[in-house]
Amino acid sequence: MAEAKTLSGKELRAMFEAATGWLEKSSADIDALNVFPVPDGDTGTNMLLTMRSSIEESYQAANNSAAGVAKAMAKGALVGARGNSGVILSQIWNGIAQGLDDKDKITGADLVAALLKAAKTAYNGLSNPVEGTILTVIREAAAVAEKHAAEVSDDLLSVMEATVEGARESVANTPTLLPVLKDAGVVDAGGQGLYTLLEGALHYLKGETDQLKLRRPWMVASSIPLTARAPQMVGAMDEVPYGYCTNFVIKGTELDPYKLRKRLEKKGQSVIVIGDNSAVRVHIHTLDPGGIMHYVNPLGTLHQINIRNMDEQYRDFLEMQKERMPEVDTAIVAVVAGEGLTQVFASLGATIIVPGGQTMNPSTKDLLQAVEAVPSEKVIILPNNKNIVLTASQVQSLTRKKIEVVPTRTVPQGVAALLAFDYEADLETNAQNMKQAQSVVRSVEVTQAVRDTKLGRLDIKKNQAIGFLDGDLVAVADKAEDALAEALERVEPDKAEVITIYYGADTKLTEAEKAAAAVRERYPQLQVEVVQGGQPHYNYIASVE
Amino acid sequence: MTVRVITDSLGDVPAEVAGEMDITVIPINVIFGRINYRDGVDISSEQFYDKLASSEVLPTTVVPSLGRYADTYDKLAEETGDILVITNSRKLSASYDTALLAKERVQKRCRVEVIDSQTAVLAQGLLVIAAAKAAKEGARLDKILEGVRNNIPRAHSRMAFDTLEYLRQGGRIGKAKTYLGTMLKVNPILGIRDGEVYPFTREHSRARALDSLYDFAAGFTHVDGIGVEDATTPDEAGELARRLEARFPGEPVYRAKVGPAVGVHVGPRVLGVAVLGDRD
Repeated sequence: MAEAKTLSGKELRAMFEAATGWLEKSSADIDALNVFPVPDGDTGTNMLLTMRSSIEESYQAANNSAAGVAKAMAKGALVGARGNSGVILSQIWNGIAQGLDDKDKITGADLVAALLKAAKTAYNGLSNPVEGTILTVIREAAAVAEKHAAEVSDDLLSVMEATVEGARESVANTPTLLPVLKDAGVVDAGGQGLYTLLEGALHYLKGETDQLKLRRPWMVASSIPLTARAPQMVGAMDEVPYGYCTNFVIKGTELDPYKLRKRLEKKGQSVIVIGDNSAVRVHIHTLDPGGIMHYVNPLGTLHQINIRNMDEQYRDFLEMQKERMPEVDTAIVAVVAGEGLTQVFASLGATIIVPGGQTMNPSTKDLLQAVEAVPSEKVIILPNNKNIVLTASQVQSLTRKKIEVVPTRTVPQGVAALLAFDYEADLETNAQNMKQAQSVVRSVEVTQAVRDTKLGRLDIKKNQAIGFLDGDLVAVADKAEDALAEALERVEPDKAEVITIYYGADTKLTEAEKAAAAVRERYPQLQVEVVQGGQPHYNYIASVE
Repeated sequence: MTVRVITDSLGDVPAEVAGEMDITVIPINVIFGRINYRDGVDISSEQFYDKLASSEVLPTTVVPSLGRYADTYDKLAEETGDILVITNSRKLSASYDTALLAKERVQKRCRVEVIDSQTAVLAQGLLVIAAAKAAKEGARLDKILEGVRNNIPRAHSRMAFDTLEYLRQGGRIGKAKTYLGTMLKVNPILGIRDGEVYPFTREHSRARALDSLYDFAAGFTHVDGIGVEDATTPDEAGELARRLEARFPGEPVYRAKVGPAVGVHVGPRVLGVAVLGDRD
């Protein structure tokens, strides 16, 4: 397709299917482009999942015109949007669909119009657009495309080449616009993701299918020399939330359940293997049930095979909960990770919990499902993470229920907001009271650095404990307990009354109790409470009120 | 003839106010194991909470017999022909039903009207005090009855709890059971709605809970009665009363104790505020 003059709807879909595959190859590298050396919102994964949903929906397009396919892709991106970059990407798709109007095929000029509209839509969707992000990249790439079409050539391929080059320069320049990127020595992850998508699309247009298969996308280097070591892979996404619940029995001779369990543990989650050398029952959650079957088939004969899609199971579960839940005027949907914290939120009256958090950003669709499952027409959403606030704000456009998002960015803010919920008040009053309550609490979070870095005056080594106060990095220490104490010091807790410490999945109660004892000794007038949070990644989350 | 007003001890009307206003209080029975105490007669609030702290058995409450109510009517009928009985919410105790049935047993010629306050604690108390005041001023029974009916939706109470365990064990928790079993230490603020205990809000510390009581009461624009009651924390009650006196100058703030019968169901360290008034 070296002399692409126009692009049909089918070609548009194929182009972005290829581009999504291209993005997939570098999604882990994009995930690693974190400002803070913590397992973060997984920008690459989020954009990939958003694109997958977009492609999936494109097959449901009303017609195969370019505009028809783009509209379906925009819809798919909207319901599949995860994380801030995913939401902005869905806005970009929304703009592209609008820009294509009712075009049957796309020309170079149409592409320019679509990109310009996409940039505009992306900005309009945000209350506080930040430069040096994916927003800047779409805007500058569109501007380059417009200039190229006017001054050089409006051939489709030529415009696309210029767009990709414009995007690359824009990504390289993000650290000069956003100081946190400069400090961390990284380019903006969302911008990189968008560039990779466009680059994949260009490869397709050029007919470079070998490139797409064999090579990997390049990561754009910062235009500013790196001061820190290049980021390494982040061990995020260690939990696959969904997939297939796979059950079967193997009968044979000389089976080794122990060895089988060890092998299967590498292939999925929630692995249960019980039995003896003649019969073994297996339960595993996996994304690839076929692969599991293939693996166990030679070991013996297979019986009672049962494979269930857990997405559906989850939907059934929501349906079941719906019948069980009491009628409430206003329901609360909370996003929470960790068994303990889930119980805390449930016990304080959250109507439904959507599992998710720092490294598992739920999609708009996940939140929408929860919203639709509750037996109330009015719903308050508590995102409890800065990467989920924007996703939550998209839900209103997809439901007839009345939604209020109380933009809680941390778990303590979520708890404070939930406590302020008044059974008697109406939706608006409650949302207002909860926002007010959220603003009063201070949040301390302690985790471990996943790479060496330098931030401001702080020199951080991999595996050191780092403490955040309301999202700002304020403490570095060898031990999590020390980072906690140091971060608490910054709050001036002598003015506070209550400190609640939620300890994480990898932290022992005895350690948490010791940390609490130290806090009590330091601030004897305070009420210090220790609660099992069970949250991943964070040793401690503490609220100060 | 002056109308006489009767209530049960679940309204926490302070004894000196009852004496001054000629309010007759029927004591609810508080039972520790096999020993029966008449609320406010055999046992004071202070004695009750001391006993509660040391007792191995949890106390219970029992509304006095029909006969006790009827005797009270008969006794008052020697002085008046018109009696008004304002009882605790019928959804919280048997006081209303008993008071109503007791009318049949009255020996003397006398008109007895029984009305369900649809509330409890000092909010019930404020309704009773307002009615007794009208009676003292010479109002007739029908007029007073109408006044009480109008006042019922204007009587509000909020109580700060440290624990809901006593409410739960006493079976009076109502919708506030949604506040049970929280994994965090929180201070629930409860009140009464539609005659039942109702969960209004929660605060994460005692100090905030007390502020919340103040904010609730201070939010009224017009008050015809206001009061503060405590179980075991008179200093906190004093401070709250002082703040409310500053907010409503010239309006007396009644000080009451959570009585033994109420105490059985709410436990120690409860602090409450009650208002008879309007928000606009």
